[in-house]
Amino acid sequence: MSEKPEHFIVDGKRLDGRSVDELRPIKIELSPLDRADGSCYLEWGRNKIMAAVYGPRELHPRHRQNMTKAVVQYRYNMAAFSVDDRIRPGHSRRSIEISKVGRDAFEYVVFTKFFPKTAVDIFIEVLQADAGTRTAGINAASLALADAGIPMRGLVSACAVGKVDGEIVLDLMKEEDNFGEADVPIAMTAGGKITHLQMDGNLTKEEFYEALKLAKIGCDKVYKLQRQALIEKYNGEYAENGEDAMPQARIGDADE
Amino acid sequence: MSDDVMAEIHRDYLFNLILKGERDDGRAFDEFRDITIETGVAGMAEGSALVTLGDTQILVGIKIQPGEPFPDTPDVGVIITNTELIPMASPDYEAGPPRETAIEIARVVDRGIRESKAIDLEKLCMVKGEKVWIIFIDIHVLNNGGNIIDAASIGSIAALLSTTLPAERYGLGEDSPLPVRDIPVAVTAIEFGGELLLDPSLEEGKLAGTVYTVITNSDGSISGMQKSGAEPLTIDQVMRVVEMAGTAAAKIREKFLEV
Amino acid sequence: MERNIVIPGDVVSDNVKMSGSGTYVHGDEVRASVYGLLNIGERYISVIPLAGKYIPHASDRVIGIITEVAYSNWIVDINSPYDGLLHISQYPRRIDSENMSRYLKVGDCILTMIASVDAGMKVELTLREKELRVLSDGRIVTINPTKMPRVIGRNGSMIRLLKSEIGCNMFVGQNGRIWINGSDDCIDLAIQTVRYIEDNAHTPGLTERVQAFLKAKEKTRYGKVHESRNDEE
Repeated sequence: MSEKPEHFIVDGKRLDGRSVDELRPIKIELSPLDRADGSCYLEWGRNKIMAAVYGPRELHPRHRQNMTKAVVQYRYNMAAFSVDDRIRPGHSRRSIEISKVGRDAFEYVVFTKFFPKTAVDIFIEVLQADAGTRTAGINAASLALADAGIPMRGLVSACAVGKVDGEIVLDLMKEEDNFGEADVPIAMTAGGKITHLQMDGNLTKEEFYEALKLAKIGCDKVYKLQRQALIEKYNGEYAENGEDAMPQARIGDADE
Repeated sequence: MSDDVMAEIHRDYLFNLILKGERDDGRAFDEFRDITIETGVAGMAEGSALVTLGDTQILVGIKIQPGEPFPDTPDVGVIITNTELIPMASPDYEAGPPRETAIEIARVVDRGIRESKAIDLEKLCMVKGEKVWIIFIDIHVLNNGGNIIDAASIGSIAALLSTTLPAERYGLGEDSPLPVRDIPVAVTAIEFGGELLLDPSLEEGKLAGTVYTVITNSDGSISGMQKSGAEPLTIDQVMRVVEMAGTAAAKIREKFLEV
Repeated sequence: MERNIVIPGDVVSDNVKMSGSGTYVHGDEVRASVYGLLNIGERYISVIPLAGKYIPHASDRVIGIITEVAYSNWIVDINSPYDGLLHISQYPRRIDSENMSRYLKVGDCILTMIASVDAGMKVELTLREKELRVLSDGRIVTINPTKMPRVIGRNGSMIRLLKSEIGCNMFVGQNGRIWINGSDDCIDLAIQTVRYIEDNAHTPGLTERVQAFLKAKEKTRYGKVHESRNDEE
C-alpha cells in the first residue's frame, strides 16, 4: 500500500491531474450478460464493475414474499482478486452492509407494487476495486434495472465527495479515499431526491453543505452519461441492423 | 424463473437432430463454440484472463502471496483453486457457500494444473518448511452458457501464463514471470442418444445423462479426468472421448495458449 | 410514426390525462416509467418497453409447459414470474384425478388461456375454449414478451405475412412463446425470421424489412436447389 502523499492538491490539480470538481473517466457497456434479464458493465477510473438484474421472478422461500409488492434484493460482492491482498470469497460484514444500503437506494425508485410476491434481484460484482466501488455499483445497477425493463420513477446516480488538504473534492481516488479527511458517498434521482447517503471522517456543517452541492453536480454528470448510454444503445444497434439487413437484400437482387 | 423443465417437444427436436448428425447451433459433434481470451483484465490480480466460450463468460484471477507450505510438502509452493458460481451468472445459482458443482469444477481444474506439473512448484519454495509462494486461482463465472469446466480450465491456464510473481511487493527480490512449463486443457463431452458431443451448450448439458471431462497436456498425455452424472459410458465411448479430447485440446492450445 | 427512445423519469407530456402504459404521473407531468419507445397516440401517451417479463392478464392466450402434477391441478410454467394453475375441471373432457399424468405429464406443452388472475396473482388457466389444446409436435421458440406485438403486427398483419410467405402453421402466445409447425425447413426459416423481428423490433419499416429478409432467404434456398441440379447434370 502506498504512503500518504504530502499534498493532495497542487496548483488546483489533484494527484491524477483532475480538478476538484472533475470525475474520473466512466465507461459503460449495456447488456454484456445474456443469462440475466438486464446487465451493465461499468468502468470508473480503475474500478471495474459488473451488474446484473434478474426479475421480477418468483421469490423463494415463500415466507419472504410480500403479498402487495415485489421485494428488492441487492447483493454486493467483491471478487477475491479485485484488490491487492486477496480477500476470502463470500460475504463479509462490509459487503453485507453495502448490500443493505444498496437495496435501500433502489426501493424508492422501483415500482414494486406492480409485481406482488416476486423478487427483483440486483447483483453487483466488483472485478477490480479502486475506491468508490459502492457508488459505481449503484450506477451500474441503475442501468441494469432499466435494461431489464423494470418500471422505475427514474435512474439513480451516485458519486462520492470528500475532503483532502482541507478542500471538498468530487469522486475520491484511492489515495484520497485512504488518507483523506472525509468520504461521503451519495446517490440521488435526477430530481435530487437522495436515496443513499453515508459519511465517515470529519466535516464542519458548512463543509458538508458544500459537499452536498458538489455531490449534486457529480450525480448530474453521472446521470448524463447513464442516459446517453441507454439512448445510444438502440441508436447504435439501429445502424448496425440497418447495415446487416441491406446487403442480404442486395445479394438476393444480384442473383436475379 | 429457472427453466429446469424442458418442453418435451423441444427435447424430441434436439434428440432427432442428433440422430441426423446435427446440433441446434450447426456445429459438428467434435466442434467447440467460438473462444476468445483476453488477459490482464483484472488489474489488481497478478494474472487474469476473461474467457468466452460461446455465451459462457468466465473471469479467472490469480493472486499470489508468501505463506507457509503444507507440513507434508515442505519444499514446494501451494496452489489453491476456488470456483464461485455467483448468482449473477444464472437464474439457477443461489448466493452462499460453494455447492458441490462449484467444488467439483474447482477440483477438476486444480487436478489438471497440479498433475500436469504445469507450474514448477519447487521453484516457488523460498525457505524449506517455512516460506513458499501460495497461488490462488479464483474462477469467477459471470455468465453460464454451458460447459463451464472447459472455459474455467482454459481461463485458468491462460491467466497463469500471464502471471507475474510479485516479489517486489513483499521485499523478496525482483518480479518474474510465474514458471509455467505445460499447458493442460480440459475437454468435456456429453453422451446423448448414443452419440458423443464436445463442448456441450447449456441446453445440451441439460439433456446429458453424463458429462465426461478429459484433461490433456502438450505431449498428449492425460493429467486428469472426471465422469459426472448418472448414465454409464461404454469402454468404447471412453476411448473415443480420449481421442477427441486430445485432438480438440491440441487445437485450442495451438490457437490460443502457446507460451 | 416518430419513435423516440425514452428512459425512466423522462417527461413525456404535461397533460396528465394522457398518461398511458409505461408512464406515471408526477405532479402535473407524465413521465416514462420504463426504458423503451415513446408511442404518442391520440388519447394516450405510452412507452413500449424494450425488455421485461410477461405479466398474465385474463383472456390472454399463452403457451405453457407442465412442471408439476399436483392434486387436482397441473402447475404450468407460463414464462412469467407467476405460475399458472390448470384445474382438472378445465381439461377439455371429464377425467379422473387418479391418473392426471395420463393426460398431461411434466414437460408437455399446452396452448392455453388465462381464465382469471386474482389480486394475489393466482393465475387460473383453461383448456376449455376453441383452439386450445395440447401441442404434441412442432417446435417452440421463446422471445422477449415485450417484442410480441411486433411479431403479431397491426391487426395480425405480420403473423399473416409469416404464415403465407413461409407456409407454416404458427401460434403466437402473449407470453413470448411461439409455436411453429410445418416441414423442418419451414420451421427453421420461421424461427430465423422471428429472431430477426425480435432483433429489429425497435426499428421503423419492419414489415418491408421482413419482406426483404424473406425474399433474400428464398433466393438462397432457390439458389441451393438450382446448384444441386447443375451438379447432377
